[in-house]
Amino acid sequence: MTRQEIEREIKNIFQREFEIENPGMDDDLRETYEFDSIDAIELLLEIEKLLGSELTQEEKKQAMDIRTINQICDYIERIIQIRKSSAEK
Amino acid sequence: MERRVVITACSAITPIGHGKEQITESLLSGKSGIKPLREDELISRFIHSRVYGTVDYPVSYDFKRQHRKTMGPVAYYACQVAKEVLEQAGLPQEFVTSGNLGIAFGSIHGSPTVQRDIYKIFFEAKDKASYQVIGAVDYLKSMVHTTAVNISKMFGITGRIISSGTACTTSSQSIGYGYEAVKYGLQEAMLCGGADEYDTITVAVFDNLLACSTAFNDQPHRTPRPFDKLRDGLVVAEGAGAVMLEEYEFAKKRGATILAELIGFACNSNGGDLILPNLGGITKTLHLGLKNAGISASELDLVSAHATATKMGDIIEAQAISAVFGNHPYVIALKSYIGHTMAACGAIETIMALHMMEEGFIAPTINLEDIDERCAMIKHVQKVLQHPVKTAAIQNFAFGGVNTILLIRKFP
Repeated sequence: MTRQEIEREIKNIFQREFEIENPGMDDDLRETYEFDSIDAIELLLEIEKLLGSELTQEEKKQAMDIRTINQICDYIERIIQIRKSSAEK
Repeated sequence: MERRVVITACSAITPIGHGKEQITESLLSGKSGIKPLREDELISRFIHSRVYGTVDYPVSYDFKRQHRKTMGPVAYYACQVAKEVLEQAGLPQEFVTSGNLGIAFGSIHGSPTVQRDIYKIFFEAKDKASYQVIGAVDYLKSMVHTTAVNISKMFGITGRIISSGTACTTSSQSIGYGYEAVKYGLQEAMLCGGADEYDTITVAVFDNLLACSTAFNDQPHRTPRPFDKLRDGLVVAEGAGAVMLEEYEFAKKRGATILAELIGFACNSNGGDLILPNLGGITKTLHLGLKNAGISASELDLVSAHATATKMGDIIEAQAISAVFGNHPYVIALKSYIGHTMAACGAIETIMALHMMEEGFIAPTINLEDIDERCAMIKHVQKVLQHPVKTAAIQNFAFGGVNTILLIRKFP
């Protein structure tokens, strides 16, 4: 999955699940859109669906500091990389 | 420290209308809100009682996603009446969020609609992925205090939270405990009430106990029939009601419109059978109510009876009213219009009494055509009376043996 595809998917999730239209890539989601801890949990479930694999408890905890769409994309890219490395081993 | 407590706003969503104008019009015209029971594709086909007190008109909501995401249908009702009460009371925003305003609000068991969806997933799910359809917010939507905390979140109210869940006395306790919080100086104001959504499980419970009306399935408007010879049980209903209680001096100082003074509240329990009506327990409640309000029975103009239209419940209540209040006050059964709105009934019936007090009329008990002689010792109302109401009692009794009475007085 390319960075562009991830961005597109995340924006779709934000529109569909959180009624947030076209958020800025570096907008603070909490301050700008009142995106809260409940939303974050829902987002992790959506990310698991997107990846087709479960996130570990540790990976979920790491996501709690995320504030922007760009950071979400970074996070997903990192998870994809970890999965890929594990598969190659 | 004991302080005076006044009611400065009220709002209700009921099977006979939303807001004062519609509700008053329905009470004056004898309109029934009882409709055929809706099919739920689960248990409704096994229920003998085919009637329900239904909110069959659209209620328009304007809630942001941030609030909607933790709300089941019961919280929609609760937040809507809370919103209307806050608007009507006109409390300054800085007061609303100051911690001096609390909430006492409940429902009988949260949101059964959401709970039913969870159980459906639970029983049908075959793998982990299908279990994950249960959302992170489903508990927040379905939990027993969902009404109170969603109100708190939506309006930024930071005072104390009381969430009674005592079946049919849920909202009368909410108002009563809110009254005590203000009376004893714990809060300057309390937003109080109760709500329940459309739910066939509650009907099934009462149906299994043979407590639901079944004889008028083809003529829903003719039931329930409190105190009538042909009464055959209660009719479950949905709805919501909320009132704003404020400390008198605070309300006066800010120039609030005072609808009535809440002069007394009592609550006790039967300490025995959890279902059967208890004459001793109820009689004690009424005595305690008078004592708490510091009035005599002769000062009471109107009694809004709990009167669900069960065979024994109505007789026991009539005996208790007769024993404590005598034949002086008018007695009405407002469930004859709307059915039994469960957690909301105490608040809705208080609000209806407030409307009558304000407009100077007494709404009759509808469907009361032939008074059961065992209930005849009290002063029933069978047609609209243009009559001032100065002091009224609102009685509610619940499964579990919980009894409450609220006493309100016209202001000034």
